[in-house]
Amino acid sequence: MAAARPLDGPKAALSAAYWVFVLYLLGPLLLMTAMSFKAAEFIAFPIGETTLDWYAKVVHDGQFLSAVGYSILIAAATTLFATVIGTWIALVVSAESLWLRSLVFALACLPAVVPGMIQAISVRIFIATLDVPTGTGAIIFGHTLHAVPFVMIMALTRLRTMPGSLVDAARDLGADPVVAFLRVTLPYLKPALYGGMIFCALLSIDDFVRTFFLGGYRTTLPMLIFARLQGGMSPEINAMATLVLLTTAVVGLYAEQLTRKARTR
Amino acid sequence: MGDIKTTRRSAIKLLGASAAGFLAAPAILRSRSAFAQSNVLNITTYDKFIPADFLEKFQADTGITVNIRLTDDQGKQYNLLTAEGANPSTDIVTVVGHRFSQFIGSNLLAPLDTARIASWNSLIPAYQQADWLTTDGKTWGLPILAGFECLARNTDYVEDTGSWDVMFADANKSATSYIVSDFLSITMRYLGDDGDYVTYVDKPDVAQAATNKARDFLIQHKDKVRKYYDAGSEIQQMFINEDVYVAQGWSGPISKLIMDGHPIAISVPKEGTYGFVYTLNVVNNAPNADNAYKFIEAVAASPEVGAAMTRQSGFTSTFAGVEAILDEKERAASTLPADQVERITFFSSVNRDMKNEMVDRATAEIKAA
Amino acid sequence: MTSLPADTTHRAETGAKAPASAPRYAPGYGRLMRSPFYRATLGLLAENRAARLAVFIGVPLLWIAIAHVGPIVQLVRISLLQTYPITDGSSPSYTFANYWAFLSEPLYSLPLMRSVVFAFCVTLVTLIVVYPVAYYVAKIVRPQNRTRALLLLLIPFWAGEVIRTFSVIMLLANRGALNVLLREIGLIDRPIPMLYNYFSLSFGVIYLVCLYMLLPLYSALEKIPNHLLDAAADLGAGPFTRLRRIILPLSKDGIVSGCSLVFLTTIGVFATPILLGGPSTGLFPETIAAFFHGASDKWPVGAAMAVVMLAASLGLAALFMRLVGGKRSARFL
Repeated sequence: MAAARPLDGPKAALSAAYWVFVLYLLGPLLLMTAMSFKAAEFIAFPIGETTLDWYAKVVHDGQFLSAVGYSILIAAATTLFATVIGTWIALVVSAESLWLRSLVFALACLPAVVPGMIQAISVRIFIATLDVPTGTGAIIFGHTLHAVPFVMIMALTRLRTMPGSLVDAARDLGADPVVAFLRVTLPYLKPALYGGMIFCALLSIDDFVRTFFLGGYRTTLPMLIFARLQGGMSPEINAMATLVLLTTAVVGLYAEQLTRKARTR
Repeated sequence: MGDIKTTRRSAIKLLGASAAGFLAAPAILRSRSAFAQSNVLNITTYDKFIPADFLEKFQADTGITVNIRLTDDQGKQYNLLTAEGANPSTDIVTVVGHRFSQFIGSNLLAPLDTARIASWNSLIPAYQQADWLTTDGKTWGLPILAGFECLARNTDYVEDTGSWDVMFADANKSATSYIVSDFLSITMRYLGDDGDYVTYVDKPDVAQAATNKARDFLIQHKDKVRKYYDAGSEIQQMFINEDVYVAQGWSGPISKLIMDGHPIAISVPKEGTYGFVYTLNVVNNAPNADNAYKFIEAVAASPEVGAAMTRQSGFTSTFAGVEAILDEKERAASTLPADQVERITFFSSVNRDMKNEMVDRATAEIKAA
Repeated sequence: MTSLPADTTHRAETGAKAPASAPRYAPGYGRLMRSPFYRATLGLLAENRAARLAVFIGVPLLWIAIAHVGPIVQLVRISLLQTYPITDGSSPSYTFANYWAFLSEPLYSLPLMRSVVFAFCVTLVTLIVVYPVAYYVAKIVRPQNRTRALLLLLIPFWAGEVIRTFSVIMLLANRGALNVLLREIGLIDRPIPMLYNYFSLSFGVIYLVCLYMLLPLYSALEKIPNHLLDAAADLGAGPFTRLRRIILPLSKDGIVSGCSLVFLTTIGVFATPILLGGPSTGLFPETIAAFFHGASDKWPVGAAMAVVMLAASLGLAALFMRLVGGKRSARFL
């Protein structure tokens, strides 16, 4: 497929806008990375003496490594559940014949609007009344319910423009509703769902307050960072963040490389 | 994203797996986690309050597995315990002295049986019988670290005047910072009133008048404020970045700045200030109360533990013999000249409801002004 | 990817090819379709409309009832209580006074107004800033490089809210990167105070939420068929005509959902405004949090404020969807 050539004139301007935006996103983080090499207890300009000690400390910090692992576990589970549930709700809401649609939509949006701490407290009290203990399950529950509206809105956006004729055609060809969904609707939703999944993982991995209220004694990464921050913003925290960023970048690029290969083959 | 390719097959697998997980969710949620086991102890505390070496030794000596949940402020601890109600998931919490009444009032703490703690006498005597530590004739916690509301200034830009005046000086326009609720008490004291409301029992009119006076004074001087802050890390960063030159702060975070070599000085102005103490408390209905007592006993047993706590947090230790262990720089950052120490009054636990009510309200009004 | 005849209005890159290539995957599905359990279940569902509806609607409704509504009901209950926690033995007493506290006090309603206006401005600015970026990635970057162009924008978000907020502080502080740079090149003598005002607040919040605009916009723009744009250009439509007549209308869905996500997220954001805001920029979540975090415990009032905020932001988002989204979005509301 050849690259489109719309808006030929302003193309350069758009390109500039993109790169300025990249600078906006990456610039501050590059500062953070630079600070992670500072040989002092606190981050400050000028950086002065540099050291790799903070990295050595972080890499050998069992608490950090287990926190990262635990965060990934929770994020993966959250992404899985929230994507399925969010998509399902989107399908229900997009069904023309349902008169409850608007109510369901509004209720489904609720968790996105409640400020984190209030949601955390209300969920904590709620699961206490159900006699469900805190711990990993409760954290995943809390994160999932927070992420569901994001998936749903993403999926809905795409579902709305899906020509109904596609599903009809599949049905005409003998597919039952489930197969029609898996073969037609789901692939059509794919780009929106990837976006939704990214939201899920991000919301979960960055969540502090829900985890604090719903969790047990295993520390997630944001909890560790918040607690360490109590003693001051040290280059050690920057080193942690840099490592996390580097890892995500490498994983992301690797995955991109894989799909690229798969496509050219 | 449109370019990442999944086959229908993997989509089905994914869906199947998630469906299975969804059905199994109740089972996962219901698996009772182990808060109440014979050899476990659950502690909620601040990062770096409990030294890692000590923790390791304690676990090895007693065979008790210690779980630590880190918190970063009193409010979260209180909210968590309140939300958990009668079945707490934690045995020891770290409460600051003047918040006692709130925790006790909500039935969240158990009184401490000091007779069960052999090392109780290693506390500096003044802390053993501190009046804020006892309510209804019961003792409520083991004091571990003491701090005070200090005046912190950047020595490159601000002269020492020995008074809180400097926080309201025109020269420091947009260059000060404080925690509103804490500084309101200090301002009341600065203006000649009782910032801790101890003498205002049953005198709400007097209390309200004094509160409003301080509130209006702070609103009048709002142009001096660069930012109201909440956390120690914020004020540290503001000093380092030279966004503020003078501020009210807690002694711990400010001491840490001094230990790291920043041009910051700490003092207690002549009008005086308030102090506070962090204590370890046994939770009401704690699932492992016996282990909690063993832990508290061990903390108090050795001044080395106290020294490590001071080094890490910047606050002053409450145990005898700790000062001798600290090096000169650490001692200088965490201790004060005797005449300034005498200006510190510890926050009381009397008349808290009235104080909290009025201070919270005035805080909102100052921020909104 | 299979390409489609050019006359299909909706290119629907993956969806449309599915019926045409159906036989390719038939074996796997066939086995599923032939399995007796599956057939029986499906048969039952096909015959029984009630059962079909129950499964299709029941599962999500159950989730919403338990996970979404349950905790909110708790919240509403607390907001109507006189005191919380309820002391042992006493029975709870209910009151509307907590809501009255909000209505009667400009002290509390003012921050809500401020939050709404602020969220509105942030949403607008984010849309204007992010739209060209999303367009560039979706339509100008060559398809094989798109994922990379997106990755570059995605990676910064994994650093987490606290780290990203502190990095903004290190950029804008009096001794931050920008001021140091400006001083080095001799443009200024004294640092420009950039932190702790509406500028730093917006800078930091947009930094945090712009992804919620980017992805919906990308997903909407990406599916606009290129040949539509080409055709318009061939017919002599200039760039702005094309933007106004084709691109904007066809990406409206993305604009609506992006704006809703950004608006809803911004109105509830808590930590960043506290770290980056100034003495007079307090937003509503901070007000609410004060009731939970303050020394005098007033959960009921805080809960009432939270309920007010919920209602207000949901209502505004709905209004917005109706106004901007027009009839098509109104399908959901």
